Amino acid sequence: MVDQQLLIDEVKKVVSRDDVKCVIGYKKGTSGFTISPAFAYSTEYVDKFIFNPLCKKNLAAYPLLEDKLPLKREEKEDKRKIGIVAKGCDTRALVQIIQEKGLKREDLVIIGIPCSGVIDYKKITAMFPNEEAYSTIEEEQGFYKISINGKVHEIAKEELLADYCTSCIAPNPVIYDVLIGEEVEHWDLEEHKNLDVLEEKDVGARWEYWKEHFDRCIRCYACREACPLCYCKECMADLLNPQWIRRSVNLSENTAWNIMRAYHLAGRCVGCGECESVCPVNIPLMELNKEIEKDVKNMFEYSAGMDSEEKPLFGTFRPDDPEEFIM
Amino acid sequence: MTVTKTKTELEEFEPNIIGFLCNWCSYAGADLAGTSRIQYPANIKIIKVMCSGRVNPMYVVNALQQGADGVLIGGCHPGDCHYQHGNLLARRRMAILKNLLEFIGIDSRRVRMTWVSAAEGRKFAEVIKEVTEKIKKIGPMKDIQRVNEW
Repeated sequence: MVDQQLLIDEVKKVVSRDDVKCVIGYKKGTSGFTISPAFAYSTEYVDKFIFNPLCKKNLAAYPLLEDKLPLKREEKEDKRKIGIVAKGCDTRALVQIIQEKGLKREDLVIIGIPCSGVIDYKKITAMFPNEEAYSTIEEEQGFYKISINGKVHEIAKEELLADYCTSCIAPNPVIYDVLIGEEVEHWDLEEHKNLDVLEEKDVGARWEYWKEHFDRCIRCYACREACPLCYCKECMADLLNPQWIRRSVNLSENTAWNIMRAYHLAGRCVGCGECESVCPVNIPLMELNKEIEKDVKNMFEYSAGMDSEEKPLFGTFRPDDPEEFIM
Repeated sequence: MTVTKTKTELEEFEPNIIGFLCNWCSYAGADLAGTSRIQYPANIKIIKVMCSGRVNPMYVVNALQQGADGVLIGGCHPGDCHYQHGNLLARRRMAILKNLLEFIGIDSRRVRMTWVSAAEGRKFAEVIKEVTEKIKKIGPMKDIQRVNEW
């Protein structure tokens, strides 16, 4: 796991550079097991920076979504770089954004962190429902050591590990300027849970499964807001002319929304699991994303966010793309 | 004289099929089928688009929501596209869309794609016949029908 002091030292070094405006990272949240994003504009803010297995939030869209106020007369544009503390999946998201020309590589200073899997917030709050604060969380040989009120709980890693981490293909940062700690070993990849069970069912049974989930959707669009790759200034779901999906919350429109969300991430989803973990009604959105990811891998031999020089999946083609379905 | 029809005849399901046909090949192919007086089922409702690459996947989903039982996308043969490679981009999109619909539980046979050139009036008629028969067998699309209530 990452040495806290090492992280703070590195962030201090980066933030004190002249060409860096700020560094985005993680700090402890206000209660329970929450984590908040932290912004350091000078070295004095850096001391609260942390990294532990709870830091699962993907901050990749933050540098992109920064509000740029209109310039005053004779004011010059702030062209300094933005530093960001990034895990493997965060760097994949950054690569994908760079590939789509949302950000420039030279505008970023990436502080890479090798990650050995993160804790699912929903799982840990189910295990410790009424805890208001923890002091430390450490990972040691397949166990998480969580100390709460001076008492150390030892919990097996599998019990708390987020589901999508078992199929992560980039535990180490894909791109970075500074790497903190040593690279971790790749683990054996597993298929996302429940995917093969669903694939074996017939179409009707699958619809029954998804119908139940989509019926629950309250269309809060939290999945969109949390996703590091849903960064469009104006979302298709918000347009009124043409109105692609109506505002009413019912099965038809919910299905259309969920198809649209999943489809817009085809060949772009980096598997960070943000959408699923913020869903207030627990729709297994990662199953949709992982299924598309699998299809894309099988059909077009393409993985999102691994190479910033590659062309986007839907912006290119090969003459021998599969076409058995065409009459 | 009144025509008496048996109950099954009256209730035979006539599907609605939306065809997104590209302006340069498939639409001209449909035109040729018409001018050559080739018979094909009247279930297809054609919408002309400039290129099959213009077909947004949400067109397909919205059509299925608004009463279509099937969607057909027609484009030029690979290499013949008026815009160089619009049809090849559409091919990728539809391959993913079909798999996603299948995974969600919407029969992906409802969404079909075909290459019809401007000279293939007969092929166009055959494609429409085949699609109509298939969708008649699958039955009406009711799962994600849009509800118009206030």
